[in-house]
Amino acid sequence: MPDESYRRFLDPTVVSKLATMELRARLVVEGFVTGLHRSPYKGFSVEFAEHRQYMPGDPLKHIDWKVYGKTDRFYVKEYEEETNLRGHVLLDASASMGYASEGISKFEYGRYLAAAIIYLMLKQQDSVGLLVFDEVIREFIPPRSNPRQLHILLSELERAEPAAETEIGVVLHELARRVRRRGLVLLISDLLDDPENVLPGLKHFRHLKHEVIVFHVLDPREARFGFDTDATFRDMETGELMTTEPFSIRGDYVEAVERWMNLLRRECAESRIDYMPVLTSTPYDRALFSYLEKRKRLG
Amino acid sequence: MGLTFLNGAFLVAALVALVPVVIHLISRRRVETVDFSSLRFLKELERKRIRRVRLRQILLLIVRSLILLSVALALARPTIRGPLAGAAGARARTSMAIVLDESASMGRSLEGVPLFDEAARICRGVAGLLDEGDQAFLVTASDPPRDVLPEGTFSRDALVEAVTGLGVTSSATDYAGAVAEAARLLDGARNLNRELYVIGDLQRTGWGVGGAGAAAPSTEEPPGAGGTGEPVRGYVVPVSGPTGNLGVASVEAGRKYGGTPGLFSITAEVRNRGARRVDVPVKLFVDGVQVGQAGAVLEPGGAAVATLATTVDETRWHSGWVELPPDALEIDNRRHFVIPPATRTEVLVVRAAGDEPRDDAYYVSRALDPSGTGERFSPVQIDAVSLGSQEDGRFPVAVLGDVGRLDSSGENWIVRHVEGGGGLLLVFGSRTDLRYWNADLLPRLVGTRLKTTLDRPSGARLAPVGLGHPLLDGLVFGERLIDDVTVRRGFEIETGVDGARAPEDILEIPGVGPMLVLGRTERSGEVGVILTGIDPAWSDLPQSGFLVPLIHRLVAHLEGARARGEGALVGQDLVVPLDGGAVGRVDVELPGGGTAIAELGAGGGRASIDAAETPGVYRFLVDGREAALGVVNVDPRESDLAALDPDDLGERVPGVAFRTLDASGSLEGEIVEARRGRELWRVLVYIALVLIAMEMLLARPRGA
Repeated sequence: MPDESYRRFLDPTVVSKLATMELRARLVVEGFVTGLHRSPYKGFSVEFAEHRQYMPGDPLKHIDWKVYGKTDRFYVKEYEEETNLRGHVLLDASASMGYASEGISKFEYGRYLAAAIIYLMLKQQDSVGLLVFDEVIREFIPPRSNPRQLHILLSELERAEPAAETEIGVVLHELARRVRRRGLVLLISDLLDDPENVLPGLKHFRHLKHEVIVFHVLDPREARFGFDTDATFRDMETGELMTTEPFSIRGDYVEAVERWMNLLRRECAESRIDYMPVLTSTPYDRALFSYLEKRKRLG
Repeated sequence: MGLTFLNGAFLVAALVALVPVVIHLISRRRVETVDFSSLRFLKELERKRIRRVRLRQILLLIVRSLILLSVALALARPTIRGPLAGAAGARARTSMAIVLDESASMGRSLEGVPLFDEAARICRGVAGLLDEGDQAFLVTASDPPRDVLPEGTFSRDALVEAVTGLGVTSSATDYAGAVAEAARLLDGARNLNRELYVIGDLQRTGWGVGGAGAAAPSTEEPPGAGGTGEPVRGYVVPVSGPTGNLGVASVEAGRKYGGTPGLFSITAEVRNRGARRVDVPVKLFVDGVQVGQAGAVLEPGGAAVATLATTVDETRWHSGWVELPPDALEIDNRRHFVIPPATRTEVLVVRAAGDEPRDDAYYVSRALDPSGTGERFSPVQIDAVSLGSQEDGRFPVAVLGDVGRLDSSGENWIVRHVEGGGGLLLVFGSRTDLRYWNADLLPRLVGTRLKTTLDRPSGARLAPVGLGHPLLDGLVFGERLIDDVTVRRGFEIETGVDGARAPEDILEIPGVGPMLVLGRTERSGEVGVILTGIDPAWSDLPQSGFLVPLIHRLVAHLEGARARGEGALVGQDLVVPLDGGAVGRVDVELPGGGTAIAELGAGGGRASIDAAETPGVYRFLVDGREAALGVVNVDPRESDLAALDPDDLGERVPGVAFRTLDASGSLEGEIVEARRGRELWRVLVYIALVLIAMEMLLARPRGA
């Protein structure tokens, strides 16, 4: 497949049309990696485990006899040094994540992003786990790096659907208590909870020396409140109703959203948490790049 | 201080101020429910911002309604008068219609000043208010009303000139028609501000009030109801004069039979419209010479009939008048009449088909010309089948002797003959097809139908009630005819038919029914019906000495109806029969001098003058020879000088609010005050502009 064709799989809408989660994850990552070679971020590289021809001096124990059996040639199976990185992908599956003004919902965006990251991490021989939550932890799969882990995690992502209210703070504290070993925590959520609850949870991870990346997923209309006519709004989580004139309050709304995001950004920065706001229309490479940058820093 | 609206119709447009409210309510109902991820931020805003939004919405609603209200009010052109209006008020262009009464009643005087002169003075005063851009129409309240300025004028001088060109006429009054006409003109007027002036004596009869004969109200549709629908400001300026009045309501000249040749009875009805009992002389003039006088005692509001007599030479036309002493209104004190000559007359006698030598037609012919010399009447006998081919207008009278039915051409001839003023005598008997005659012709010509043949008891006599009929003058002694008549069979009149005959036109036989019917429809010839056959089987009329005078007088009466006529009223067409007919030009000597050329009709047998304006005697000349006289009299309605209360005008002219102006006061001041004032539309436009600016400010998107 030409390079350019892979790039289109960074478009969330295109990805949503692919058949399986694995395919989605793989094509997103392929597209991303292809882009890396052409991008200004060329300094980054992704190390994959691979085979190479046996060279004199190589320890014999590294010869892959299965390959020899098939090809009659000596290949050495190269293993990168086993990483200590354990990744936890936390996916918010609350009802508010189901919101979609157009294109795909925040939840869909989030799970494709999670799938791509999981794929990428496993390819890098990292171990990765998954936590799907709403007001409670709905599913927790501890991190592993074995080949089956990809299928397990992607299947879980496939099954998950948004429902119930958000209680991010509670969930983060709960996870922090469970995960004792240091690692990387990737939170994919719309963070539509009280920052007073969200931030302590994130800081809890930092306190435990985890590295944290927050992918703050928002729908473009959520961010800009792009409604034209008077409307009655129904809260997707609580079912509450409120009638207003969007035209008149748009300015104040956008201001309030920005204030909220600035608070999150500032607090995250203070706690050395990577805060990455993304819209559901944002190509996946931005988020993946953010992850890689973090990964690199972690060595 | 007063507030008026020059274009009051636009006040209705003020309802558009409700449009924003309606739209608001409708759009509230149509608000869409949208699922949204979280109301967290909306709830935050609810506390401050959304409340402000609601307040702003209400303010916007009020401001938008006020904008529309201001525009609607500005279009209605509110005007204040009084101290607040300031010294220099704005002027609104106006279209006015003036109804000026020039009818005969305006000819009376008050303190030496004719009412019409006073009305014209007022009218010129109103004309003086005509300013640049103002439009004026002038309609006379005469019958029929006349548009003096049909296209209207924008010139004050032209209006004054038009008023000056008018004078009191002899016409009756028709305020109702004139106001309707003025309203029609105003509907098409150029300016939105419209005024209707009624200037005159407000004579009741002109408004459709005052009993029979009064002009029917014709302002069914209020002025302004058609066309642009603009309301009209009304002004009435009563010009009052004395209301006590005597008048001659009618005069009739009837030949007295059986006495001195040329003896005529002149019957005049005199009415007292005043509040005092009067005893007045009623003078009779014939050919300009007073020939008689009678006294009449008239109670207030009462009437009396004065009967006078005169003898004339029956070989020529005569004219005359009955006259009362001078009073408030002089024009109705004299009423004219004419007496036609008793000339040799050709009478068409139509006989039924058959070989009966002595039928009804035979007896009628013999009765008309017993000596066979044709000295007075010359009967011309024809068969019924050839009736349709007879010359129109040749025969003053036609007699149908027991004709069963007519063919269509004969039927048409009969109708044309009667409608053309000819007399018709129908003798019904054994051949009569009653169903045919009842179907159309009898109701049309006589106003009645006949019942089936009736066998009468032998020896029936003419009833005493019929003996007083003028036709029987000289033929009755006491309560008996000069010769008894026995009727064996006859027809009865069917009652309850439209236009049933008055009793005085029916001669009855006691216990049996009527014997003779005289019918006459307006402006046509008279029709007589003998309800028993001139046939020994039906009656002994053929043998009776009563037959000759009866037929003579009936035919003379039917002929006289054509000649005598009641003439015409002022404003109507005057139609007269011409002795011997005419082929070429017919000159007319008009009353009071002057000549005109008459129009010829009915094959030269009649002449007419359209819309005769002057009361008096009209002399029709053919080749210099006096061929006929006709009279035109004042409409008797004009004698009733009682006026309508100006306050009741609103009922007569719906849709116009009339203000009564005092003729002796400063009309101009009041009218100008109503027409002028400080218009507030500019202020309202400024207010609307300020409101629009506010609206734009309030509706400006915030941070969109």
